[in-house]
Amino acid sequence: MLEVRELTRTFGDLRAVDGVTFDVRPGMMTGFVGGNGAGKTTTMRMIMGVLGITSGEVRWDGRPITMVDRRRFGYMPEERGLYPKQPVLDQLIYLGQLGGMTAASARAAAMEHLERFGLADRAKEHVEKLSLGNQQRVQITAAVMRQPICLILDEPFSGLDPLAVDSMADLLRQHTSRGVPVLFSSHQLDLVDRLCDRLVILNKGRVVGAGTREELESTGTVRHRLTVNGDAGWVRDLPGIHVVDVEGPTALLEIIQPGAEQQLLRTAVSRGELREFTPIRPTLSEIYREVTQ
Amino acid sequence: MSNAWALVARREILVKLTNKAFIIGTVITVVLIGGFLGWTAYTEERTSTYDLVTLSEESEMGQAVAAAAPVLDDSVIVEARTVPDDDTARAAVADGEADGYLHRSGAGWVLTTETDEGELLRVVQQAVRAAVIDQQARDLGTTAAELEAGSVVSPEFLVGDAEQAGLAQGVGFVMALLFFMAALMYGMQIANSVVEEKQSRIVEIIATSIPVRHLLAGKVIGNTVMAILQIVLYVGVGLIGLSFTPYSSFLPALGAPVAWFLVFFAAGFIALACLWAVAGSLASRVEDLQSTSAPLTYLVMGVYFAGFLLSGTAKVIASFIPPLSAVMMPIRILEGDVPLWQPILALVLMLLFAAVTIVIGERLYRRSLLQSGGRVSLKQAWSTTE
Repeated sequence: MLEVRELTRTFGDLRAVDGVTFDVRPGMMTGFVGGNGAGKTTTMRMIMGVLGITSGEVRWDGRPITMVDRRRFGYMPEERGLYPKQPVLDQLIYLGQLGGMTAASARAAAMEHLERFGLADRAKEHVEKLSLGNQQRVQITAAVMRQPICLILDEPFSGLDPLAVDSMADLLRQHTSRGVPVLFSSHQLDLVDRLCDRLVILNKGRVVGAGTREELESTGTVRHRLTVNGDAGWVRDLPGIHVVDVEGPTALLEIIQPGAEQQLLRTAVSRGELREFTPIRPTLSEIYREVTQ
Repeated sequence: MSNAWALVARREILVKLTNKAFIIGTVITVVLIGGFLGWTAYTEERTSTYDLVTLSEESEMGQAVAAAAPVLDDSVIVEARTVPDDDTARAAVADGEADGYLHRSGAGWVLTTETDEGELLRVVQQAVRAAVIDQQARDLGTTAAELEAGSVVSPEFLVGDAEQAGLAQGVGFVMALLFFMAALMYGMQIANSVVEEKQSRIVEIIATSIPVRHLLAGKVIGNTVMAILQIVLYVGVGLIGLSFTPYSSFLPALGAPVAWFLVFFAAGFIALACLWAVAGSLASRVEDLQSTSAPLTYLVMGVYFAGFLLSGTAKVIASFIPPLSAVMMPIRILEGDVPLWQPILALVLMLLFAAVTIVIGERLYRRSLLQSGGRVSLKQAWSTTE
C-alpha cells in the first residue's frame, strides 16, 4: 500500500501542497481529483521523488519509500515524456532497459502492448509522427510494460476518445487485478466516477475528501426529499431539520439532528400525507462542488 | 542498475550514428581534409618539363639552363635543343612545339614565349645570370664564388628552426580549430539533448528509473567517445594525407604533440561536457538555451583565440591553465623544448579541473534538471532542496 502522510511542498510563499494525507490501496484504482492548481501534479511528482518534499513523507509497505521502490513504480508524467525524433519501439526498449529489463524482454513487452493498442505496425516510426492519442498509448506502455508494483499516472485519459478510454481502463484494471495500487489524476469527474474504486479530492493543496464513493457521500451532508399530499410548508416548524427548499408538496431537507427524521416521518404519517421520503444520492460533481467550496 | 550509465552512453552514441546530419557532416569533413591534402600533394609533386630552343651558336647557354634548372627548382625540367634560324625558332614557339626561345638581344638575353611562363622565366633568369657572372668573373681572372664570397646571409633561430616554427603555427591553428569546433558542436548538442529531455518530461521517467548521476555520466561519456573518435578520424586522415605530401618528413615530429593533443582534448572535453549539460539543465525550453549556454560559448571561443593570439610568457602561463591548456600545451610541445614535467603538470591540473567540474556539474545538474517553469539561475540550482 502506498501511504501519503502530511505531504507538504512550498514554492516560495505558496503552499502548493499542504499536509496532504491519503492511501492508495492495493488492487484499487484511486482517482485523484481537483481543479487546476489544486496540487495533483505536485503531489504525484513528490510521490515519484522527482520533486523535493518540504515536509511529510511517502510510505510504501509500511516504511518510508526509497528510490529502489520507486524504480519499480510505473509513472506517467503530466506532459508526454518521450523522445519525439526516436522510433517508438527503440525508446520503449531503452526505457525498459533503464527500468532493469533485458533488451529481449523489453522488446517482447513493448510489442505486446503495441499490438494490443493496434500500433504494432508503427513500431519503427518516430513518435512525433503519431497522433496525440497514440503517443499517449505509447506513453502508458512505457509506464506499465515492466509489470510495476504501483502505478502513478498523471492525467492518463486526457485527450483520449471514449473507445481509447475504455481500452486504457481495461489495461489498468488488469494491473489492479494483480493487486497493484493505481493512482491516476483527472479532472473529468464522470470518468473518475465510472472508473475508480476510491477517490481523493484535492482543493488548494488540501485533501477535502477521501474514500470510496459511499464514504464520501456519507461525509458530505446527505439530503432527503419528502413528498406529501398538499403543501409541505409545515416541515419548517420541526426541530433538528434544515429545510433547503419547499416547492408545493415536495421539500428538500437536511437532517441536522440524528433521529429528527423519525419525528418528521411520524408527523407526516399522522397527517396522513406521506408519499415519499428518500435520501438523494448526490452526483460526484455535487460532492466535488460541496467539498471544494 | 550499475550499468545504467552504459545504457545511456550507448543510446547517445546510437542516436549520433543514426543521425543523417552527423554522418553527412563527418563524411564532408573527411573529404575536405583528404581533398585539401591531396591537392597539396599533387601541386607540390608535379614537375613541369619545358622545351627550350636556341640558335645553334647560342646552344651553350641553352645547355647551361637545362643543367641548372633542376637545381634551381626541383619541379622544373628544361630540355634544350637548337634550331637553324630565328624564324624557325619563333614558329616553333608560336605552334607550341617549343615553350620558349632564348636568344641574345643587344647587351642581354631575351626569352620569347607565347604567353607568360613565369616558372620557366624565373629559372632562365637565374641560370643565365649565373652563367654570365661566371663568364665575366673568368674574364677578370677570378671566379664567381670568389666574387660572392662573404655576401651570404644564413638564418639562425634561437628557438627551434624555421620550418618547425612554421609547422607549429599551422598545426597549432588546426588543433585550436578542431578543439573549437568539437567543443562547440558537441557542447551545444549535449545541452540540447538535456533540455529536450527536460522539456518533454521524459527526464522524470528516467530519473525515477536510474540515478540522475548515471544519466549525466552516460551523456558525457557517450558524447566524449564520439567526439574523440571523430577527432581521431580527422587527425588520422590528416596525417595519412600529409604522408603523401612533401611535408611527410615532418610526420615523426608531429607524433608526440598530436598524441598529447588527443589526451588533453579528452580531459578538456569531459570537463566542458559536464558544464554544457548544466547549461542544458538550467534551461526549461530550447529557447532558454542561448542565454544559459552563453558563458560557455565565450569560454570555448577564448580557448580558440588564445591558441594563436598569445605569445611569450602569457603563452607559457596559459599552457598550464585549464581549459586553455588543452590547446596551448600541445602547441608549445610542437614548438619544441618543453620539459616533460610541464605537460604532465598541465594534464594533472586539467584532470583536477575536470574532477571539480564533474562534482559541481553533477550537483547543479541534479538540482536543476527536475525544476520546470522558466530558467533556473545558478544560485537557485546550487541552493535548492532536492
